[in-house]
Amino acid sequence: MIKIENAQIGHQHLLISIDELKLPAGQLYALIGRNGSGKSTFLHSLIGQLPLRAGQLSLGNFSVQALQNDHLLRATHVSFVASMFPGIDALTLHAYVSLGRLPYLGAFGRMQDKDLSFVDEVLSRLNLTSLAHRATQNLSDGERQLASLARAIVQDTPYMILDEPASFLDYFNRELLLEQLQNWVQSNANRTAIFSSHDIDLCLEKGIKLLVLHEQRLTLLEKPTKKEVMDLL
Amino acid sequence: MKRTSFPVLFFMLALLIALSCVHLFGLQAQGISNRLVFWEFQFPRLLSGVLAGAGLSLSGLLMQNLFQNPMAGPYVLGINSGASLLITILILGAGPTVLNQLSYASAAMMGAFLAASFMFLVAKRVQNIQSLLVIGLMFASFTGAIESVLQSFAAPEQIKQLFIWNMGSLQQMSAAQAPLLAVFVLVGIVIALFLIKGLNAMVLGDAQARQLGVKVNFLKVSILFVTALLAGSITAYCGPIAFIGLAIPNLARAILKTQDHLVLILFSVLAGSCFLVAIDVLILLLDPWMSIPVNVLTAAIGAPYVAYLMLRRR
Repeated sequence: MIKIENAQIGHQHLLISIDELKLPAGQLYALIGRNGSGKSTFLHSLIGQLPLRAGQLSLGNFSVQALQNDHLLRATHVSFVASMFPGIDALTLHAYVSLGRLPYLGAFGRMQDKDLSFVDEVLSRLNLTSLAHRATQNLSDGERQLASLARAIVQDTPYMILDEPASFLDYFNRELLLEQLQNWVQSNANRTAIFSSHDIDLCLEKGIKLLVLHEQRLTLLEKPTKKEVMDLL
Repeated sequence: MKRTSFPVLFFMLALLIALSCVHLFGLQAQGISNRLVFWEFQFPRLLSGVLAGAGLSLSGLLMQNLFQNPMAGPYVLGINSGASLLITILILGAGPTVLNQLSYASAAMMGAFLAASFMFLVAKRVQNIQSLLVIGLMFASFTGAIESVLQSFAAPEQIKQLFIWNMGSLQQMSAAQAPLLAVFVLVGIVIALFLIKGLNAMVLGDAQARQLGVKVNFLKVSILFVTALLAGSITAYCGPIAFIGLAIPNLARAILKTQDHLVLILFSVLAGSCFLVAIDVLILLLDPWMSIPVNVLTAAIGAPYVAYLMLRRR
């Protein structure tokens, strides 16, 4: 359960103000809002990268402040997929995805057999097995986006936050991504995922709960219709 | 660790042993008949090659990780210059008495740490590597200028001492200093091995590394500390040696195609040693005809390779 109370969010000036919001676990939420409405800012606050200006925010049993102070706890509690991964010289897709296991590894960062088989399994679920040994800077933007999702899944946290994870994906991979995210939250009652998106139609079609960001307010629509969303935006 | 890395690492180790044997038993003039000469001169010379090569390329690898840029290295970013400046002040006795109490090594380490911290603060402001390299160059010119001013007040013997030190050489280290340098370099390697997890994550940048549970600030200070320990102590005992720190880690990534820092650290350490010992073998081979300083050869081989890397990056 994500709980937000009396929160003021923003960098230099106030962007979002939330009196009370509770997001039950076991669900997938899509964050919708116009350009510049503060979607990324909100997501950065959720993962503790941007401190709240005021108020309370907690993911499950831990407040974001508590997570900020305990590196390892945070790494095993919440994973984050950034909107862009540029790819890195000499870093293979397999090695990139494997970095998701880092919080669980010993001092020298060696992967055990169970870590490796977990990575392989996730790669095959996302149809990435054939690309496993390609260098990440030689992949397409979309392939890198799927790799980032794989890395977050492999990190195996109860909370997953994704910043426009589908912006470079083609139609089929968008379907794959949403399907994988829905499976991910449904396979464990403790899991919650929030992703930002501009693809309102696809989210409505899949029956995904919407968090609509508009005029500094955040509204949860449990069973949204297109008209409701459009009226808000 | 990728299984394909094992043969490469094993090959480097074998190469290092072979080069060391050639260096020690094949080329050094007096042979091994004279035990005193062997332990006082020949063995320390080989050891400084092995240690300086290993330490400099490891400090280059760590700096490239810290600056998140493959063109970083202790020499190009002016870390050696910081060490140089404090050594000059020490040799010329121009500093306050507190500084004069220090040994070469601690003065150089302090200079290296100050220079590394300064460059790191600069790097936070300028994002592109070209500006950073130019600032590193300017920093080196600036410390060079101060050194020149100080030298104009110095006695001829002091200037000669400085000149020899500045050329870079593996023959400066005495048998008594050898264990000290060995300890510094080994401590540097061991600390680096305990930073592997953080180093691997830092490849993705600060924000993602934090998200993966890395204490980023602690890691950065550790890297600065190890870099200063390695580059500083080596510069103190062998003089400023150029390009190894920049070239070898790039070679490591190009050959091994990995960002796993366990493999990169081991390869850099072995390849750095091999490179410097090989250079010294060359110097010994050419010795009957001419005497070439280490820095001339490392620059002659390293500089074109670094230029090639820059060109390939466009």
